Amino acid sequence: MRTRYLILSLVLAIAGLAACRSKVSTTKPDPLRSSYDSEPDWNDPQRIIPLNYEQAQGKRIFYQQCVWCHADSTPAGPSNRSNVTPIPPLFNDGSVLDAQSDEFFQSIIALGGSALGKSAMMPPYGKTLTQGEIRSLIAFERAIAVPPYQPPVQPGSQSSEK
Amino acid sequence: MPAENMGKVPYRLRLAFAISSVAFVVALAISPIKDLRREWKRYKREFTRFAQTRPDTKRLLADFNPGIDQIWLPEMGVVDRCTTCHQGISQPSLAAASVPQPFRAHPPIPHHVQEWGCVVCHRGQGPSTEVAEAHETTLAWEQPILQTHFIQGACGSCHHDDLPETPQLNRGRHLLEELNCSGCHRLQGIDRPVMLGPDLSSIGTKVSREWIYKWLKEPRTITDADGNVTVNGVENEEEPRMPKFRLTEQELRALSAFLTAQRAKPVEPVKFDTRLVAAWSKKPDLVDQGEVRFRQMFCSTCHSIAVTRAGETKLVGGDIGPELTKVGTKVKLEWLAAWLRNPQGYLPNSKMPRYEWSETDLFQVTQYIQTKLVDTDLLGNVPQLGTASDDEVKLGRRLFLEKGCAGCHVIEGIGSQKDFGPDLTSLGAKNVSQLDFGSSKVPRNLISYVQAKITDPHSVNSAARMPEYHLTSADLDAVTTALLAMTGTPMTTGMEKLIVPGHHAEFHPSGEFGKVYERYKCYVCHQFNGFGGTLAPDLSYEGSRATREWTIQFLKNPQTVRPTLTLRMPQFNMLDREAAIVADYLGFVLQHPDVNPTAPAPSEFTPQMAALGKELYEVKYQCQACHTIGTTGGYVGPSLNNTGNWLTPAWIKAWLRNPQVLVPGTIEPRRTFTDVELNALTAYLLTLKQASSTGKAHSASGGASAGGQK
Repeated sequence: MRTRYLILSLVLAIAGLAACRSKVSTTKPDPLRSSYDSEPDWNDPQRIIPLNYEQAQGKRIFYQQCVWCHADSTPAGPSNRSNVTPIPPLFNDGSVLDAQSDEFFQSIIALGGSALGKSAMMPPYGKTLTQGEIRSLIAFERAIAVPPYQPPVQPGSQSSEK
Repeated sequence: MPAENMGKVPYRLRLAFAISSVAFVVALAISPIKDLRREWKRYKREFTRFAQTRPDTKRLLADFNPGIDQIWLPEMGVVDRCTTCHQGISQPSLAAASVPQPFRAHPPIPHHVQEWGCVVCHRGQGPSTEVAEAHETTLAWEQPILQTHFIQGACGSCHHDDLPETPQLNRGRHLLEELNCSGCHRLQGIDRPVMLGPDLSSIGTKVSREWIYKWLKEPRTITDADGNVTVNGVENEEEPRMPKFRLTEQELRALSAFLTAQRAKPVEPVKFDTRLVAAWSKKPDLVDQGEVRFRQMFCSTCHSIAVTRAGETKLVGGDIGPELTKVGTKVKLEWLAAWLRNPQGYLPNSKMPRYEWSETDLFQVTQYIQTKLVDTDLLGNVPQLGTASDDEVKLGRRLFLEKGCAGCHVIEGIGSQKDFGPDLTSLGAKNVSQLDFGSSKVPRNLISYVQAKITDPHSVNSAARMPEYHLTSADLDAVTTALLAMTGTPMTTGMEKLIVPGHHAEFHPSGEFGKVYERYKCYVCHQFNGFGGTLAPDLSYEGSRATREWTIQFLKNPQTVRPTLTLRMPQFNMLDREAAIVADYLGFVLQHPDVNPTAPAPSEFTPQMAALGKELYEVKYQCQACHTIGTTGGYVGPSLNNTGNWLTPAWIKAWLRNPQVLVPGTIEPRRTFTDVELNALTAYLLTLKQASSTGKAHSASGGASAGGQK
């Protein structure tokens, strides 16, 4: 009889063991492989900045519309930056642009420089780009800014993390 | 059994019964306990705890459901339970990177997560409710999550047309087309073009056997002093369309023998004017004039040449035609002269325009190519092959078929091998178990497999017939993305309806214009109603834009209107008659419906209006930021120096009102000018004329602007 109990408990033990299965180990993904697109840091081409979908769309629109005056080299070669007065800031220049709010960018891109008392050489894009496209441009600017952009701490949202 | 003994069970048996009952109860309890501890339930509990720490707890838990959340897309055959754990996926307040996964919100994308779920884009296993099973490949579930870097491949499964939002996918599709992958493989959405590699029926008249040997051995012709391919190879991003095959010495000899015997159409011997040849032999520096003509004709718009400056060799020029740095060592003089006179005489489907040559130009340019674009060392390593023996030719013919050369190349009398390689139309939907990794160390997933197969086909299959492609890592990823998008015929009819088809327009007009259009291959660089190249401006509405006089002038002597461009319209030496045919066709046919050619007459614009326009241009709107007038201004937009002769008043007005409606995607921002401002700016721009071209234009056109051309 004893052997019967032994067999029974063995069967139960096996059943119990089968119930708990070993976990499949997951590998940590490479940050660039888990990003939609990337952009090299303009000041340090070795550093590659990962971009999410929205930032990547901003990058695309930047290289179509803005690169001509807000970068020192363009897909077509020379930059138009020196033909514009005053010389416009580089798009990654955090020392100038980090201080400006998203709302400021939204207005100056949509309404142009003259509407905000700045140079009329910055044209309005409110009828050319959608609100979402302008938002993506701002997201791209924030992603490539040097020194890096720190979003302001919003009053009222006191999350427990950090 | 007696009645009194009924129910009297021996003690031992009762004990066994009791123990096994308890054991069964315990065994049955395992399942509910396990169920309570399931991964997704843990995430559900964690999320409620996490939501308590957020200021907007109420909103976060408004739709909370303690069970499994599921998005069901019956049309696509998709069941998606990802939101069971990814509970904050569409909560805008959880967008910050500090929010722990799996609760973080999805960054903004065009498709709403609640509507489409996750697996349509990310792949992976929608019905699974365990982390590992949902994301990774396990035995039961074979499609892992697509790495975000390749996610544009998922966009391409439904969007068979090119989207501006998916540059990597578009680049990959372009490369698959350009590298002639459809020569051997069937690809989804990429048709076999009329010509892949060149027709080799008369290759023996074009190049020597030694050159064929060299080309088959190493198709990249430009190497540095150390013998490394530096310009037209790996490091330059410019991969020749001919890939590198692994051929043995015997195979090289046999193939070169077979090819050199291909002389279906003999080349007529060149007969240049004896005076030209005599002058040349006296003054060898005439070669410089050949070079000048070569430059003036803007051969470099399609062909590149390696230029060494400050010890650095760089390719300068376009990539529509082959790179020509050493072409003088490649082709025979007779062939070259015949080719330049009529490229389609040798290759009926060549993209090369048939230039109108003067005898002097042709002589000088061929001499320049034959004396300057040469490399005497190019064939230095090639053994003396001598004349081909019959056995070699026979073996070569067999190899030509065995290697699948007829997938891309045509030879008279040899049938096309169009499906030589495997069908790739559903490669992107393949499960890992369907891929043959052999005994290689390549990681067992589809992306690694595709990439290994392209860069080194022998790594996964030692008997692979596929040649090697040396792509940059960005291009390799792009090609991989495009292949991942090829998921075959849709599984459901609902899915079929969702697919956005690719756009395949053809524009081959007939008549006199059609002849000129085909002769100069306008569509290789320009777009016409969605068909053609993207190098040069879209001409779909050119008839509304440019005046007839200007068009004729431009065709006769193309001057760029964009000073920063290095690739320009070639100088075709177009005949007067041909230029007039083109200008008339553009004027009558290629019109935009929103541009009314009869609306504003030039006389409507007064000098006062022009003066106001000048002020608006210079002060209020400061257009000089991007446009040049005189010698000052920017060079983002075209120079406006000759606007008065170039553009029609109707076009200027319509353009200023809304540029994007005339040329979708143009970078000129759309503004809100008043009607007075529109007229003033148009009036001002019409006053800008360059004297030289005005005079010529008048003599060339003679009152044809009203459209009364015969």
